[in-house]
Amino acid sequence: MRVDYRIEHPVALSASFEVEGFTVLLGASGEGKSLLLRAIAGLLPARGEPFDGLPPQQRAVGYLPQGHALFPHLNAWQNVAFALRGPHRRGHAVEWLERVGLATLAERRPAQLSGGQQQRVALARALARRPQLLLLDEPTSALDPATRDDVLAELIAEVHVAGIPALAVSHDPALAAVADRLVLMHGCRIVQAGTPMEVHAQPASGAAARLLGLRNVLRGRLAGAADAQRLVWEEAGVSLPVRTALADGTEVDWHIAPEAVALHEADAVPADTIVARVELRQMTAHGRYAGLRCGQARLWASLPSGDVAGTVRLGLRPSAIRCWPA
Amino acid sequence: MRPRLTTFAAALALLLLAAPFAGLAIVTDWRHLGFAHGDGSAVAVSLGLSLVALLLIVALGTPLAWWLARHRVRGQWLVDALLLLALLTPPLAMGLLLATMYGPYGPAGRLLERAGLLLTNSAPAFVMAQFYAALPYYVLAARAAFEGVPRELEQIALTLGHSPARSFFHVSLPLARLGLAAAVALAWVRALGEFGVVLIVAYYPQGIPVKLWTNLQDIGLSAVYPLLWVFFLVALPLPLALGLAVRRRLA
Repeated sequence: MRVDYRIEHPVALSASFEVEGFTVLLGASGEGKSLLLRAIAGLLPARGEPFDGLPPQQRAVGYLPQGHALFPHLNAWQNVAFALRGPHRRGHAVEWLERVGLATLAERRPAQLSGGQQQRVALARALARRPQLLLLDEPTSALDPATRDDVLAELIAEVHVAGIPALAVSHDPALAAVADRLVLMHGCRIVQAGTPMEVHAQPASGAAARLLGLRNVLRGRLAGAADAQRLVWEEAGVSLPVRTALADGTEVDWHIAPEAVALHEADAVPADTIVARVELRQMTAHGRYAGLRCGQARLWASLPSGDVAGTVRLGLRPSAIRCWPA
Repeated sequence: MRPRLTTFAAALALLLLAAPFAGLAIVTDWRHLGFAHGDGSAVAVSLGLSLVALLLIVALGTPLAWWLARHRVRGQWLVDALLLLALLTPPLAMGLLLATMYGPYGPAGRLLERAGLLLTNSAPAFVMAQFYAALPYYVLAARAAFEGVPRELEQIALTLGHSPARSFFHVSLPLARLGLAAAVALAWVRALGEFGVVLIVAYYPQGIPVKLWTNLQDIGLSAVYPLLWVFFLVALPLPLALGLAVRRRLA
């Protein structure tokens, strides 16, 4: 489904992109992502397709706002039944709750449900309305970090089973990681769209790379001709050899993957390397990183094995550095 | 404030509140509790017509309160000022203003009289006086109740396919019900106890507050107390029950 909307107020924003399967619109806070969802749901004056000009009650959308907005005066099945008409409302509502695995909690009030359970009730309610498009506002924001990935997997599985295109807006790269399709928004407009693999392989700009959660996206300036080009990294007070097709003097966002940052003992000195201080070590389930202080800047390096402390020297291969005009 | 000081202040406030009623209980001549002529019909007039006034206040005040809670328009301070004006106007002055507008020589009064609606010394005049006395209180309290309803929930109801009217009745109204109950109780108390406005535009038919006044004038204090007890007996149950229901919900 193609979404094409233009908002004038309170933020001027226009967005046109394709929604397929579970599509994530990634953007920083304050970009107007929530406004876009509200506009599509008809809750904000705006022009665009689909549903142009229709009042909200005639738009076939399932809208899940942040915090889920369950009716506190109704229990779970009554919340779902709110989207239903007719004499068999209760039975159908319980069937929808069964689909999201919550039939046993049908009599519970929203306040008695966990964040993930509330989200599933809200999803059941939105699906019961039989929408043509699901709209999810920051679906990971109210989730417990420990169970987030599972709740998210559940949510996406439900969306796939329902076979309804879903548009989730978020600033959370973890959500982007599980999308079928990724749309990046920066400066109140769409800057890139594609499958997560395409977008991750080739971020269109430094801003896009930051949105994707890439570490080590930094500012710099190119100096010198193409064959002897250097990247002036002012925050660290150094310059590095690079190879780009960009002109001399271009302000750039540049990136180097933490895995490509080579660490050397301080006394094994290749002459043109950068001196850095190990500021902190980060151990996660997904890997080990060192946070390095280089002048005013911070650089992350992955630690394949062993440990580092104190002062180190960095090797930043020119071929591992990617530059975008800023 | 230290807890003991707080307790003391609260106890003092309660004591001060209770003092006049304790006095009433003491001075009432319980053995010779007699009613003046017309006390019974005063009770009927007060109860019956206050109920009509209350229905009108709820029917007209609720949409206004909801509109005020949900819309921001330029010049809204004028509406706020108007509500405050209605609250501020001393009851006697409000009665005079109503008489000026709706009385036999008033611009609206003349038109309405031609249509068969007499708004001086009549049941409709009595209802009108109570309506004006209690409406601003109801609107302010009901507006606060509606402002407490998250707008997002009303909007969600729309996205689930409900019309704005259904959203109002199934979401806004139930979620505001505690505050609305308090608003109804307040309006009832204000309407039933109103003396000044009623005195000017509807000396007849006599409700309890005006009858207390005429009893005092014609007979004396001994004729005031019994009617006052009856007044408490008929006026208290509705706001008391509403208040208890609210408190039980909140607990």
